[in-house]
Amino acid sequence: MRFLMTALADDNKPDEKLFTEMAKFIDETTAAGILLATGGLEAGGVRLTSAGDEITVTDGPFTEAKEAVAGFALIEVRSREEAIELGRRFRQIVGDGVSVIQQVYGPQG
Amino acid sequence: MTAVHRTVDAVWKLESARIIAGLTRLVHDVGLAEEFAQDALVAALEQWPSAGVPDNPGAWLTTIAKRRAIDHIRRSERLDRKHEELARDLDQQPDQQPDDVLRLMFISCHPVLPTAARVALTLRLIGGLTATEIARAFLTTEARITQRIAAAKQTLADERVPFELPAGPELAGRLSSVLEVVYLIFNEGYAASAGDDLIRADLCLEALRLGRQLAELAPDEPEVHGLVALMEIQASRSAARIGPNGEPVQLHEQNRGRWDQLLIRRGFTAMLRARDLGRPPGPYVLQAAIAVCHAQAPTAEDTDWRQIAALYGALARLLPTPIVQLNRAVAVGMSAGPQAGLDLVDALLTDPALQNYHLLPGVRGDLLARLGRPAEARREFERAAALTANSAEREFLRRRAERLADDAPPSLSLGQATADFLRREDLDAQTLRAYAQTLRRLCLAVGESLPLAELTPDRVAQTFELAWAGAAARTWNRHRAAVRSFSAWADLPDLARTLDRRTEPPSLRRGLDLVELWARELPLRERVLWRLLAESSAGPRSVLALNVDDLDLDERRAWTGKTWITWRSQTASLLPGLIAGRERGPVFLADRRRGPGRPPAAADVCPHTGRTRLSYERAEYLFKQATGHTLRDLRES
Repeated sequence: MRFLMTALADDNKPDEKLFTEMAKFIDETTAAGILLATGGLEAGGVRLTSAGDEITVTDGPFTEAKEAVAGFALIEVRSREEAIELGRRFRQIVGDGVSVIQQVYGPQG
Repeated sequence: MTAVHRTVDAVWKLESARIIAGLTRLVHDVGLAEEFAQDALVAALEQWPSAGVPDNPGAWLTTIAKRRAIDHIRRSERLDRKHEELARDLDQQPDQQPDDVLRLMFISCHPVLPTAARVALTLRLIGGLTATEIARAFLTTEARITQRIAAAKQTLADERVPFELPAGPELAGRLSSVLEVVYLIFNEGYAASAGDDLIRADLCLEALRLGRQLAELAPDEPEVHGLVALMEIQASRSAARIGPNGEPVQLHEQNRGRWDQLLIRRGFTAMLRARDLGRPPGPYVLQAAIAVCHAQAPTAEDTDWRQIAALYGALARLLPTPIVQLNRAVAVGMSAGPQAGLDLVDALLTDPALQNYHLLPGVRGDLLARLGRPAEARREFERAAALTANSAEREFLRRRAERLADDAPPSLSLGQATADFLRREDLDAQTLRAYAQTLRRLCLAVGESLPLAELTPDRVAQTFELAWAGAAARTWNRHRAAVRSFSAWADLPDLARTLDRRTEPPSLRRGLDLVELWARELPLRERVLWRLLAESSAGPRSVLALNVDDLDLDERRAWTGKTWITWRSQTASLLPGLIAGRERGPVFLADRRRGPGRPPAAADVCPHTGRTRLSYERAEYLFKQATGHTLRDLRES
């Protein structure tokens, strides 16, 4: 089962310790064959809206900074509980804030 | 399962390998280590529901497990200073080292274990799967898996398999055993060999994870990356290889849009890592390279079959298995034309390893269809369908067969003829059963729909060679007799004419139960003859040649003209009854007088009764009827 874990932006200022712990977490989940892809997202971005024949392109930001997705991790695990467990570990590292876990349906089903 | 239970299960699956590996390094016994880890799991199941899941569940489980290990050592019967020290060491040593899990993989895939045990143990110790989960994946019972794992742990303990990383040349050998287990698990999931699911996805994922883990643990081994690349790319096609009705979709017909690009890219990356190590490619790297070729082709028509055929050529040199040869034939069939492929396939027809492998007729059918030989192709697909155990695949092959036009004029098929032949009423049931066995095997080998007229002695000989080459002479001859009888009935020239009759070795003396024989109600003549043979150790012919006047009953012996035959009490007590006052003529007499056709020699006729001497053939027949053995066996038992 694949899950996309997204983390919403927060006010925490990343420090040296956070970077080391994150690197360790990423190494561990990669080594365990769990982490398939990960990345951070720019704040804002571009929004495309279609209405009728019209497509409008607008530059961000669109929401409160706190509600924007700041990063993602695509993981492959055996159960939803495993995904949640990994999410818990991630939250413990990054501190206060919000993550969302969604199952990814795709070629692999 | 409650939510907490599911959480405990998830944590366990994520952590158990590291915990067990760390403990094994300390206590040097996988079985013991797993027991302590299980104790920790039980503790978690007891405490977490009320106390909540701890912040660092992995560390929590490790601490508990270690504490159990120390308790165990302190409590153990041979409590002495050494144990006390060990327990103290244990308390101070770090929980794990980076190579622990790799060591554990080497142990659970150790060559002292049978393959099935390696698979079960790896899934259990590294994958953290329960016996129930493993049993379900391998379509067997939980009890059998539990027992298999227990036996494996015992073997490891008995053989004192060390918890260490093998060095030098041994590493390569041991590593290949690990790779083999991982790929075996993957294939069990990918190409479910039986049942109705074409894919048991969980097993694929488990194998992929094991492989990815292995690649991080042993990054300098190209074959590890090769295996990972191979599995990632194969797994990338999972969704595309099954049609809407569960039927298999062949590679060149797959919708490439459904291939998982993420996995393909991961496969390519793994392949590059393998290549960067700059060593001659091994079997997994070569297979991965073939998978890469397929994945790189935007459409089936763009496939670089020439390159794939070359890679299969290299693979066949490293790994000349019949399956590799068969795949190579497919590639050659694509790059150099169907006839070239068919030539290679036909060379495999006599390979015993492939005789029940449905892909052999499947591939042949494909090549024959492309060569414009639909009738033959159709038969091959039907044969392939009869051989596969997977129902979705069977359906698919049947449909392929049906789609091929059969322009040949209707003719009596082998299957039809067999059915007619087995409906005969002039044979007893036992004979028919035996004949049916032979002919069904023949039908399976050459295809039921083969027109009877096209069945040649060569095809029959081929089947015999494949099916019964190693069989006992008696079995071989029985099958041969069945084919001869069938040929005669069908008015065909003898289809078994190229098959030699095999000489049957003397039957085993073992199994002739004399106690049981003497306990039976037997006619006096047989009882005496058989007792005499058993007690005298004389040959049946010389015993049957005895005349009444040769006997010296008091001395328990008889003169054969060359030598004395002697016997003991049982024969002695029976003989007078058989002679019944006769003074001359054969001792052993036939039941009936001989007919007028061939008058017997005077010496073979009893002057008292007019009956002739019991013939060797008749005596042999009677004994065989009664015991299944020959008279010669009696003499030596």
